[in-house]
Amino acid sequence: MTDIYRPNNQEEISQFIYDCYESNRPIEIITFNSKPIGRSIQCSQTLDLSKNSGIVEYQPDELYIKVKAGTPLIDILEVLKSKNQMLGFEPVDLGYLYNGKPNYGSVGGVVSCNLSGPRRFKSGSLRDHLLGFTAVNGKGECIKSGGTVVKNVTGYDLSKLLAGSYGTLSVLTEVTLKVVPKPEFSETFVMYGLTPKEALEVFSKVMKTSLEISGACHYPKNNIDFLRLNDLDNSRTITALRIEGPKNSVQERIESLNKMFKEVKEKTILEIYQSDLFWKISANLECFNNSQKIVAKISLPPTETTGFISQFCEDEIMGINNKYFVEWAGGLIFLEIGNEDPSYLILEKMKKFCKEKSAHITIMKADNTFRTSGFFLSSSDENIKILASKVKLSFDPKSILNPGKIYAGI
Amino acid sequence: MLPETTKEVSLILKYCYDNNVKVVPRGAGTGLSGSALPLEDSVLVVLGKFNKILEIDFENRCVVTQPGVTNLSITGAVQHEGFYYAPDPSSQMACSIGGNISTNAGGVHSLKYGVTTNNVLGVEMVLIDGTIIRLGGKNLDAEGYDLLGVVTGSEGLLGVITEITVKILKKPQSVRAVLIGFDTNDDAGNCVADIISAGIIPAGMEIMDKPLIIATDNFAKAGYPRDVEILLIVELDGTESEVNTLIEKVLEIAKKNKASYNRASESDEERLRFWKGRKAAFTALGAISPDYICMDGSIPRKKLGTVLNEITRLSKKYELAVANCFHAGDGNLHPLIMFDSNNKKELKKAESFGADILKYCVKVGGVLTGEHGVGIEKRELMCEMFNNDDIQQQLSLKKAFDEKSLLNPGKVFPILHRCAEEGRVHVHKGKTRFPDLPSF
Repeated sequence: MTDIYRPNNQEEISQFIYDCYESNRPIEIITFNSKPIGRSIQCSQTLDLSKNSGIVEYQPDELYIKVKAGTPLIDILEVLKSKNQMLGFEPVDLGYLYNGKPNYGSVGGVVSCNLSGPRRFKSGSLRDHLLGFTAVNGKGECIKSGGTVVKNVTGYDLSKLLAGSYGTLSVLTEVTLKVVPKPEFSETFVMYGLTPKEALEVFSKVMKTSLEISGACHYPKNNIDFLRLNDLDNSRTITALRIEGPKNSVQERIESLNKMFKEVKEKTILEIYQSDLFWKISANLECFNNSQKIVAKISLPPTETTGFISQFCEDEIMGINNKYFVEWAGGLIFLEIGNEDPSYLILEKMKKFCKEKSAHITIMKADNTFRTSGFFLSSSDENIKILASKVKLSFDPKSILNPGKIYAGI
Repeated sequence: MLPETTKEVSLILKYCYDNNVKVVPRGAGTGLSGSALPLEDSVLVVLGKFNKILEIDFENRCVVTQPGVTNLSITGAVQHEGFYYAPDPSSQMACSIGGNISTNAGGVHSLKYGVTTNNVLGVEMVLIDGTIIRLGGKNLDAEGYDLLGVVTGSEGLLGVITEITVKILKKPQSVRAVLIGFDTNDDAGNCVADIISAGIIPAGMEIMDKPLIIATDNFAKAGYPRDVEILLIVELDGTESEVNTLIEKVLEIAKKNKASYNRASESDEERLRFWKGRKAAFTALGAISPDYICMDGSIPRKKLGTVLNEITRLSKKYELAVANCFHAGDGNLHPLIMFDSNNKKELKKAESFGADILKYCVKVGGVLTGEHGVGIEKRELMCEMFNNDDIQQQLSLKKAFDEKSLLNPGKVFPILHRCAEEGRVHVHKGKTRFPDLPSF
């Protein structure tokens, strides 16, 4: 039987964790339970942060927003929209992946997972937009780092560590995020029928120009049915490039793309409304809507992407046909594979590939069996694991915060 | 010690670890806060021989380099293909990329393109016990804890970096800079805030006050107006039409804020001349004052006018002249306090003046250091920003990397912390057992 505790503020969170620390009780940390990500964990206590919610301070001209960590992300996005601003890392709504419906969850949860959308390769990841935080460590002590300013090298940059730590180091109570002006205009240049190799060549070519592409993805033929937009033909592979900025500049750059790819016959341009929708659907992994399989995210150098696809995603001769798509101008692949025995073998092979090619895997979704016995991150370097374990203990000496969520035993 | 290979660095560190010898890592030694200052009882590991660029990879948009390579030579190695490395500290001709990582160096373009931490993809580093690890690489985002993120800006306290992978960017199609002059600090401060509020993120936005305008113009012949009290340099980049539109918008905002002068660059040569003055600020000041110390606080942009006025007040109080340059876009200020080191009292006064400025920065919601690091210069001021629990947490993290505290000891953290080291004094809800004892 799990006890659920819902504190109202940082002081109550601190007291609760202090008590758990003193009595060696492990705690699972949740807010809206929107993201069953990471390894499955068993804890006697559940800490629900949903009451620690609200916007503390929003300064549009200082380009930051300070919020309590339990605040629903959607509320923050609405407030920013009212001032024509946004979060530069383009937050990802994993609600579709887990439950087939939108649910961004809390800002603390999104920060803890370091989730960044299609703009990542241009604007940086979430961790680059986290300016500061307050949190409670595993001893119940309230700690802070960073601030509200963008340039800051006062002490260790703990914000980087906490972003993407899946609640295993400290419990975030307040976060300050950088905000950016919403681009005035955007359009998406779509090319049809390219092979993954050709798409990767397109990415390589445009990334060597000054066109400032802010989204670059490729969807193969077996993964385009869900893309239903008026001006989009979803019968052939789709390779999309997003351009954002002042209207005249966007149109000039779209024209440059037209010239650059004049030999590609089949193409279209998505105007601003459809363009925004396209990237939202892509960011939110809607192609894996309520997937019952294993969904993995593979971060890799763009030059290794074609090789990875032919080994693990699609290959006619080998009979491989997994649902996938390529994001981040070739630097990221999302892949869905079955959750039966042969798939586990594929995952092991993928791990080997990643070890050799400076790449890594994150399991975004899996069934409980896999989440209990399988891996969450593909890390293979023992020295890094030892260091990660020491870092964990430096925040949470009794390992009571989400224990085992990232690695078994850490 | 002047090692040449990672293996040698590893052997040195292992020896030091086994024999409890302190180690201070050092790059080009251009740092401004004393992070790489040798200690009398330590081994100085200088990375000067790690001076080669190892790989230029345009396909993956990155460069793999040794840490002793200068910041500017990375851009030098890729500019023939129209690429560059974004962070550009003023010392970029001399400072090493390894040193940039240790202080998370910024520069004049960090408003739009970020500081070092936003532009580094990976490092190879040696831990104090000689273990060699790789964090990140040519792919994006950390796997597990973002150790790369915490190593960046750690001032050599967590490990010795022996190889670095940085992201390179394609140069924008068009870049223009505009000079805008004002008669008061408040007008300039408001103009900066209004530009940002209008949704414009310039590639760079810099402010200099009168003493620096004159000094840098004399030194670099930058073509600055000499009859304005304060000068704003705004750089905009993008496509040609985008840049022209943005310049018009910026000039309109400047006019509303009572700008008394403006000039937009008409050629790249002229633009670079505008920057030549600003980038020579520290050198130029050397010509008018025998000594100066350079401070480095960060503040909320809208407090710019208030902080400038406070600096003027403090300047009168301490009877020391001061010149100011700011990375106004990101609220990072560099007041330069002038003094004469032949007069012993003046050095002390200058240091107190500097400390007062930084304390004021924290008071208005800013931080002690934006890009120079804490080093030894600001370590005693850490308590202005952090309480005991905050500092103990940072010290615990240090121990995770370096349990014997052999790497660069005495830097960053207040040296009186020893009374509470190890975090054994548990402070809960502000109740300490010995509240009257000083602790940090």
